[in-house]
This record gives sequence, C-alpha cells and structure tokens, in this order.
Amino acid sequence: MKELALYILDLAENSIAAGAKNITIDVHVNSARDELFIRISDDGKGMDPDFVRSVTNPFVTTRTQRRLGLGLPLFQDLVRQCEGTLNIVSEKGKGTIIEAKMKRSSVDMVPIGDMGASIVSMIISNPALDIVYSFVLDDYSFVFDTKLIRETLKDVSITEPAVLSWIAGYVNEGTKEIIFDVTKNINKNRGGIQAL
Amino acid sequence: MSIKVSDLLKHNFTLIAGEGGLNKDVDDVYICDLLSWVMAKAKQKSAWITIQSHVNIVAVALMADLSCIIIAEGVEAEKETIDHANEEGLPVLNYAGSSYEAAIELYHLLTT
Repeated sequence: MKELALYILDLAENSIAAGAKNITIDVHVNSARDELFIRISDDGKGMDPDFVRSVTNPFVTTRTQRRLGLGLPLFQDLVRQCEGTLNIVSEKGKGTIIEAKMKRSSVDMVPIGDMGASIVSMIISNPALDIVYSFVLDDYSFVFDTKLIRETLKDVSITEPAVLSWIAGYVNEGTKEIIFDVTKNINKNRGGIQAL
Repeated sequence: MSIKVSDLLKHNFTLIAGEGGLNKDVDDVYICDLLSWVMAKAKQKSAWITIQSHVNIVAVALMADLSCIIIAEGVEAEKETIDHANEEGLPVLNYAGSSYEAAIELYHLLTT
C-alpha cells in the first residue's frame, strides 16, 4: 500500500470486525531515535493465543466470504522492510494491541497519506465507534477524539456529510508528514553516493 | 538505439518535473515499487517505472544514477517530489497506463 493511513485503516477494520467500541491509534515519530512507533489498540473480542500466533499468516482469517485476511500480514511486511519489530498482544474478551516500531528513515517507509479519509472511513463503518487518534512528531502533538466531537455536536450526527468532511480536513491538518526526506542526506555528501 | 528522456515526450509520457534533465540518455528500463530494491538492482541510465510518488523516489533515482522516473497508472506526484526533481534536474514523467504498458512503449522506443 502506498500510504500508512491505508495500513492503519485495514487494522482498524479488523478491530471494528472484532466488535470494538473504542479504538486508540497512536502514530509517534521520534527523530532523535530515528523511530516511528504505531499502536492500534481496541476493546474488541480479542484473540486466543493460538490465533495470535497464526494471525500474520495471510491464509488465516475470521472472514467467511473472503478467504484472505491481509491487513496484518501486509503491515508485517512493511514493518520488516522498514527494519522494525511488530508486537501483538491480545486477550480473549478484552481486546487487542498491535504495536510496531520502525526505522523512520528507512527508504521503504511510506508517507502517512490521507489519515483524515481513513478516520472518516472508520466512523462510517461504525458510527458508534469511539476513536482516539494521537499524532506526535518530536515536540509537536495532535489529538483527535470522537468523544469530544460528539459532545460539541450535541444532537447533530457525526455521520452528517459536513461533519465528516470537517473531520477529514481537521485530522489531515493536525497530521504531519512522517517520511524522512533522504535527498537532504545525498546533498550533504554527494561525493559519497557511489559508496552507497 | 540510444534515446534521450526528451524522446519520451513525443509519446504518451508527460513531463511533470525536472525539465533540466531532458537531455539524459536512456539505455535501459527498470520496473519496481520497492525503493531499496531499486537502489540495489537498477542499472545506471535506466528509465524507472513505479507507482510510488513520494519525495524519496527522487533520492533513489539520484543515488542509482537513473535517467528519469516514470510514475505509472496516472498517480499524481506529491509537491515535494516535484520541487526536488526540479531542483535536481531529474525528469519525472507521468504515464496514464500500467507499468507494463509503459514498458511496452519504451521497448519500442529502445529497439526501433
């Protein structure tokens, strides 16, 4: 996939399919440590230990209509490409946490993309779902919380087109590009390009 | 036959950035969307066909000494990509069809 936002949407769709009422999405960049940290946690029905062990196999899915469940396996591929580690913690009846740490400057890292569209898709999938999305880039931080939006909206539905389009814009404005611009490094040591 | 990046513009490729590099020779074609793989495998002076469009495609093309980047499937390039390509004089072209179709057009250009 071309955008991190699409991977995150796929993982969140898993959470929604697992009956989650709350999803927390963290996207945190630490430049000094050259690290991108992503966590998606939900209060869905969780998985038993055997299923957790097999869940990154693309031929394992809870779905019956489609044979393949690719959300996690594809995310795992990205994590591998970006020299990262993936951790899945799940407990039956409690929920699931998917955590990944990646090398932010990896040349195979994908841009953050349209997080606004992904959040809106999650809301449309399940309008009752509560989402807390936090984006951190070093000293900068942004939080989007559907609970706060609902309080402000009072009797207006969160699925009103005008509300959804505002949410998409607000989330995208709050989210910054995570990708590390490798060109900056090349320009510094042009002579060393052959060595790479 | 050796061709220049500028020869591609007579066909279904549209220049979107890096006009300064139109005189570069194109000797070969490489197709891949995994940037680390391109860095390791693409031959110099290749036209690189990809569906990636973010800023680091410019970095990879410079590092691997590629002639130009062809973004297939009509994917739009990010503004940073265009800015960097203009600064570096690295031609970036847009192609509406698939990577395969782009490769076929390039094959005809390179062999006739």
